Amino acid sequence: MHPIFQNWRVFLMYLAAWVPLGAILGLLISATGDLNAAETAAVAAPVTVILAFICLSPWYTCRGLPLRSMNAKNLLGQHLLAAIVVAGGVLLVARLAANAFSGLLPGLDQRFRHASPVLTAMVTMVYLLSIALHYVVIEAQTSRRSELLAREAQLKALKAQVNPHFLFNSLNSISALTAIDASRARAMCIRLADFLRVSLRLGERGSIPFNEEMELTRMYLEVEQVRFGGRLRLDEDVDPACSTCQIPALLIQPLVENAVKHGIALIDEGGEIRMQARREKDLMRFTIENPFDPDAPASRSGIGLENVRQRLEARYGNAARMEIQVEPRMYRVTLTLPARES
Amino acid sequence: MTAVIADDEELARRVLREYLEREEGIEILAECSNGFEAVKAVAELKPDVVFLDVQMPKLDGFEVLELVEPNVAVVFVTAFDQYAMRAFDAAAVDYLLKPFTAQRLTEALARVRRRVGEVRTTPVDLRNAARTPGEYQTRIVVKDGVKVHVIPAGRLDYAEAQDDYIALRSEGKLWLKQQTIASLEAALDPARFLRVHRSYVVNIDRIARIEPNTKDTWIAVLQDGAQIPVSRSGYTAFRKLVNR
Repeated sequence: MHPIFQNWRVFLMYLAAWVPLGAILGLLISATGDLNAAETAAVAAPVTVILAFICLSPWYTCRGLPLRSMNAKNLLGQHLLAAIVVAGGVLLVARLAANAFSGLLPGLDQRFRHASPVLTAMVTMVYLLSIALHYVVIEAQTSRRSELLAREAQLKALKAQVNPHFLFNSLNSISALTAIDASRARAMCIRLADFLRVSLRLGERGSIPFNEEMELTRMYLEVEQVRFGGRLRLDEDVDPACSTCQIPALLIQPLVENAVKHGIALIDEGGEIRMQARREKDLMRFTIENPFDPDAPASRSGIGLENVRQRLEARYGNAARMEIQVEPRMYRVTLTLPARES
Repeated sequence: MTAVIADDEELARRVLREYLEREEGIEILAECSNGFEAVKAVAELKPDVVFLDVQMPKLDGFEVLELVEPNVAVVFVTAFDQYAMRAFDAAAVDYLLKPFTAQRLTEALARVRRRVGEVRTTPVDLRNAARTPGEYQTRIVVKDGVKVHVIPAGRLDYAEAQDDYIALRSEGKLWLKQQTIASLEAALDPARFLRVHRSYVVNIDRIARIEPNTKDTWIAVLQDGAQIPVSRSGYTAFRKLVNR
């Protein structure tokens, strides 16, 4: 249904806007056909009411013929055809009204004929204007919706990013450190703040250089290293040629989080997370591996990885891929994506 | 009052120890860094209360809860887990959300003191309530003396109700666990395990054939030859599952 009917106030305002429009129509008819006030009203009133409703119909035709769907000539042709049909229909109604009232107002039908060309032109113009307005409204709606979708995706990324578990456990570590080592507690607060600040800033950007993502990843791991102590060990081997490659923001961070949450956190003695980045001509390859305990209690997983896969696909289509290798005690994720510098 | 602390993070254990040492009349018997240690420590040292982290190596907090004596008070300590919190609320077990204040711990201890000697009921159902909807238990933990045995769900042949216990048949061995057959049924994936009888839950993959017995009963013959009674409703449920 037309959105104007969703709110009766808006609909009443729309009808009110037709009063001056109807008056202008009446003036034109009256001038060209030399009609008096009563005669003008007899023709202009039904025409205005019908036109008011017909001018809502482009809501359907415009959505059926989206602006980008076909070439401009075709689009214009279709709408012009519709406009001519509408003008013809309205003229017919006007004629019928003139004929019907010619008993009361003698000669109305004859004199109205002089006004017909002006009326037809007016109706066509108003109808075409309505089509244009509807396209504007529909475009505004679409862009608002896509903006909303983009923001939703960003929020989702941030939510995945700042996992509540991570946040509360970090705060608990700080709480413990305040009594043991106040300066380490403060250092941890600052690291956590840095991480949150940077992740919020990066989350607003679509693409970031790989080295910025790695910087964020390091901040995250530094916080986790306070929490897990010697259980969390790191090995990083990053090809400097990768550092300027653009990648979707916050793409790697969820992989690191998984490696901690489902790997290190569930092993008594902990283990080493290994990250490697290589550039091969126009491809870049990132690998992260972590040990895991196959006998560990099942932990909820899969959402983070699925998110990464979807983001890669949305950005690069078939040009990028994510591979997962599970060895008896080792979990490895490899991302291969086009190396783009801008 | 005696206490055991179980958390895999050293700093988390340190906070608990710091707070508990300030309390009057509390003795910490042990600190454990994984679920196995926690079960062992509780079985051997018999504390009045155990502080349990939910996510730990080896066994998680819920699995530990299933295996400790029901007269030991359990206080869960966790960072954030919406389903777990809902379950704790329902079961009226006290829980501490990290980070927590010393005051909050004192309150938890007061609650434990009021309930000393009380026997917990249905710990296993707490686990069912804490599960994410649509997610099922992938393994079953049983206690074998002070040792813990883990049965992956896929290796369970069937379970039989025996008074307050269930007997679990897996790889030719029989394990006893204090649990109701209904709560086991609720914990396992209904696409793989079926309650074929009031007293039996069967792993569908293990069924070799079903033979008619009397007018209204059938018998399921498993791959290893074991025979399990099947009731009318169990038979209907089985037909529905295979025909889907």
